[in-house]
Order: sequence, then structure tokens, then C-alpha cells
Amino acid sequence: MKIAILSGKGGTGKTTLSVNLFSYLDKATLIDTDVEEPNSHLFLKGKLIKEKSVIKHYPKVNDDLCDYCGKCGDFCNFNAIIPTKKKVLVFHDLCHDCGGCSLVCPKNAITYVDKEVGKEFHIQVSENKLFLYGNLTVGEVSGVRIIESLKETTRNEDLLLIDSPPGTSCSTVAAIDGTDYCIICAEATPFGLSDMKMVVELLRAEGRNFGVVVNKCNLGNDEIYHYLEEEKIELLEKIKFDREFASIMADGELLINHSQYFRDKMANIARKVLGDKYDQ
Amino acid sequence: MINEIVIISGKGGTGKTSLTASIIPFFDDLVLADCDVDAPDLNILIKGTIVEERDFVGFQIPVIDYDKCNHCGLCHTSCNFNAISEDIIINTSACEGCKVCEYVCPTNAISMHDAVVGKIFHRKTIFGPMIDARLIPGEESSGKLVAEVRQLAREVAYAENRNTIIIDGSPGIACNVISAITGVSKAIIVTEPTISGLHDLKKVVHLIKMFSVEAKVIINKYDLSLSKAKEIKDYLSLMDLEVILELPFDLKFVESISNLQIPSTTDIPFFSSKKWFDFIEYLRS
Repeated sequence: MKIAILSGKGGTGKTTLSVNLFSYLDKATLIDTDVEEPNSHLFLKGKLIKEKSVIKHYPKVNDDLCDYCGKCGDFCNFNAIIPTKKKVLVFHDLCHDCGGCSLVCPKNAITYVDKEVGKEFHIQVSENKLFLYGNLTVGEVSGVRIIESLKETTRNEDLLLIDSPPGTSCSTVAAIDGTDYCIICAEATPFGLSDMKMVVELLRAEGRNFGVVVNKCNLGNDEIYHYLEEEKIELLEKIKFDREFASIMADGELLINHSQYFRDKMANIARKVLGDKYDQ
Repeated sequence: MINEIVIISGKGGTGKTSLTASIIPFFDDLVLADCDVDAPDLNILIKGTIVEERDFVGFQIPVIDYDKCNHCGLCHTSCNFNAISEDIIINTSACEGCKVCEYVCPTNAISMHDAVVGKIFHRKTIFGPMIDARLIPGEESSGKLVAEVRQLAREVAYAENRNTIIIDGSPGIACNVISAITGVSKAIIVTEPTISGLHDLKKVVHLIKMFSVEAKVIINKYDLSLSKAKEIKDYLSLMDLEVILELPFDLKFVESISNLQIPSTTDIPFFSSKKWFDFIEYLRS
């Protein structure tokens, strides 16, 4: 079973929920697909067993073969390759690695070279617990390749949790691709509700099953509950805000090791999403 | 020259939008640009009326004429984004609009058509004009949409002779953030004293240094962990970056947002402090 934890709004508690739920379970794999700003690894200790570069390609023009016809520049939709009269300029950051410029080049002057866009890290947390995260290199425009690489590596895992990036753009779509269930971690504030509605729209368009955990439920108002009821969306659990929780997480500690309240909440979410066998 | 100020954070939920909203009432010559296009929230607090609404065409997507298609599979094998399946069905959310499929198709069965990926709004608010946008959930091109929002905000600022543009950015460090920070006058980074806040701050600081943007930092909710707040300050002094404000955690902040009020217009004492006015003065400069 593959379960994504996502949020729309940032800072609602996705990572808190992901690392604590993962740590609560007996046997599971977790991937942190918020590759722009990954945080799960700050809470999970283990042995680094593998580190892998994630590569994209960008074009390189052989000046001896190029006759400056300009077809590559005309074809490129991303302004990543711009032929001038004496030189073809390539803008690595803009290139989407579609392969178009080399396809249209009549002189076969364009080849592709590797560029690292980020890294994938595999961490053995315990015998039955594997954790992977990705890290996008600063200055790179998209983490989608790294997310796809993490998903590919963990394709055959029995129970996979996916800590997703905030928002509803292409990287979130890549993170939730192929999941059986999605847990939206929401906040009961007007911002939290507005952003959650966009996530609901996305999940419905993608045909996913999902439920909602309202985090920091004692902050905000009741509107989110009216919305969930009207839309017939399952409310999985409510978790309170507590300054003590905030300070435990601030130091990189797991809440389930410090709070029975939080442990009970994880147990309940696991039972609702995974069924009775996870009632520990 | 227009004073363009962007508010970013790296980590989400540190208080970007609440702080952006709090700055707004202290300016009388501004244009607002909400560039958090896949979670736009500024208009929830800064209620405005829509003056104009338009579709945003981010790129073109392929459409297949199945009468012409001979299922040769070239488009499927040529696509670097896995956006065309073996049985020649297009997955539009994976497509990046490169048109390689159209080029390789031997039967001319593929043509490219405009894809509306978002909406752009021009609103009138009591604080000045606001440009914001909404990316259709699941779509590409958020960087382009951000660039478009900023371009419109500049046009409005020139047309109405307004000197300040305040940009609410999005979390992260990818194309939408890069697009929000390029060419601004100053960036304000909002962080929080947590292990995640510090980690994410480092990546966003790296980004603003890479783009040579002048930046200062706000530590929000600094009293939730004084030790982490100190770690953040130590790191920033190493990086030669100034902490321009430290805000205490105050439940009234959340309350005001729940009541759809701008925090700085409520009775939160911090917003009448000298520190706050010095900060506003810096933004104006």
C-alpha cells in the first residue's frame, strides 16, 4: 500500500505526521519527496547505506559540425538553446531535457551531457525500516526528476509512506502518482482551508482516495469541519497544538517518544488507513 | 525605480503571508503581487473586488487525431517525460509541452494546442491594486505564471505611478521561487526557530546569494525555542545576514487570521513597537 501525506499549505505538519507515523509502524518505508526543502531526515537517525546522483541531460553543441542554421533554437520551447551567428548558447537551467534540439539538428551536432540536479539518500533506520530522501541542488528549477527517482526505487515496497511537497503543482503530482491513499494534513485556519480545497480539487481530478487530519485543531475556527461534512470527506483525526509539542519538534525529536497523546493519535490514524492489523 | 520587495521563507508555514499582510497597511503607494500561485491566500485577508480576470496559457499540449494515428509508438518512445503511454494516451499532467511527439509523428496525427494552466486576477483593494493568480491544481509552469504576475504588477505600478510592489512568494527553492526573487530590490526571509526552519533557511539563503539579492531575515515565533533561535542567529552572522525582526509567538496572530483580520491592524502590541516601525522604514528605503 502506498500512502502520501500532503497539505497544500506549508507548515501544517506533514513532516511531523510522516516521521511519527513511520516510526510508530512495525515495518514500513518512508520517502521524503519534498526535495526542495526536505526535513524528515532531521528526525530519523540511521545508517546511510546508499547515496545516488540524480542526473538530467543538457545539450552540447559540436562547433565543428554546427552550421548555425538555427533550427534548434526555433524548436526549443524553453529558450534554452539560442543560436547566434557564430556560437550556439545553451542555458542549462532552462533546459527541460526533452531531446528536441538534437532531433531537429540536420548536422547531428548536438549531443547530451550529464548534469547532477540533486541527490537521493537511502537510510536504514532499523531492520524493518527504510527511509529515503532527495535533495534538489540550489539553483535547479524542478525537483520532479528526483521525486520520480525516489518513487522508482521504492516501487515494490509493501507499505510506503510519502512525505510530499506543499502546494499543488507538478512536484506534488509526481509525489502522489500511483498512491492508494492520501492523507491531507490540514489546519483549521482560513489559509489552511483555502489551500486544502485546492488539494481536494487535485486529488479528485487524479481519482485518489483520501482523508483529512486536522492538525493544531485548537487554533482556528470550525469552518473546516463544515466543509468536510458538506463534501463528505473523512475526518481521520484531530491533533491539538501544544507549545510542548512545538518545542520537541523544534529540537528534532519524535513526538511519539515523548507523548502518549500523540502515540494514540498515530495508532488511530494507522488503524483507520491501514486496517486492524496495525492496531498495536 | 520601483521598490520591489519579496517575502519568502524556504519552509512553508513560517508566517510569510501573515507578515506580508501586516506590512501592507503601512504603505500608501503599493501594488500587491501574490506569487504563491499554488496556495494563494493573500486575498483572504486583503479582500478585494475583481477588476479583471484572465486565463493564463502556460504552454501547448499535444492532441492526437486517432483517425490518423497508426500506433507506431514513436511518440511514446521519444517522450522524455513519460507523458504518452504505450497505447498512445496522453497524460497531460506529465507533459511539459516540448512538442517532440508532434515532430516525430510520421502520420501528422499530433497537433499542439494552448493549455490554460491558471487564472490571473487583477483586484482593487483598499490598500491598492493587487495581482494574484491561481495555478490549476496539478499543472506545470508555476514559474512562468509567477513571472506573468510580476510583469502585470509592474505595468499597473507604472500606469498608476506607484513606487512599491510587495511580492508574497511561495515556499521551496524551485522555479516559482527563482521567478519571484529575480531582479527584486530586497528580499525578506521569514524563518522559525525549529530544526526544519534552520535547515530550509540555509537552502534559501544559498539561493538568494546565488542570485545576488539583498536580504534580511525575520525570526517568527522566536520564543518557541530560544536555543534554536540562537543557532539561527549564529548561522546568519556567519553568512553576514542581518536579523531585522524577531517576533514572539502570539495566539492573537492566529486568532486575527481566523477572524479574517490583518494581524497588524489588531491590538497586538508588537505592531506599535519601534522595532516594527524601523522595519517598515527599512522596507521603504
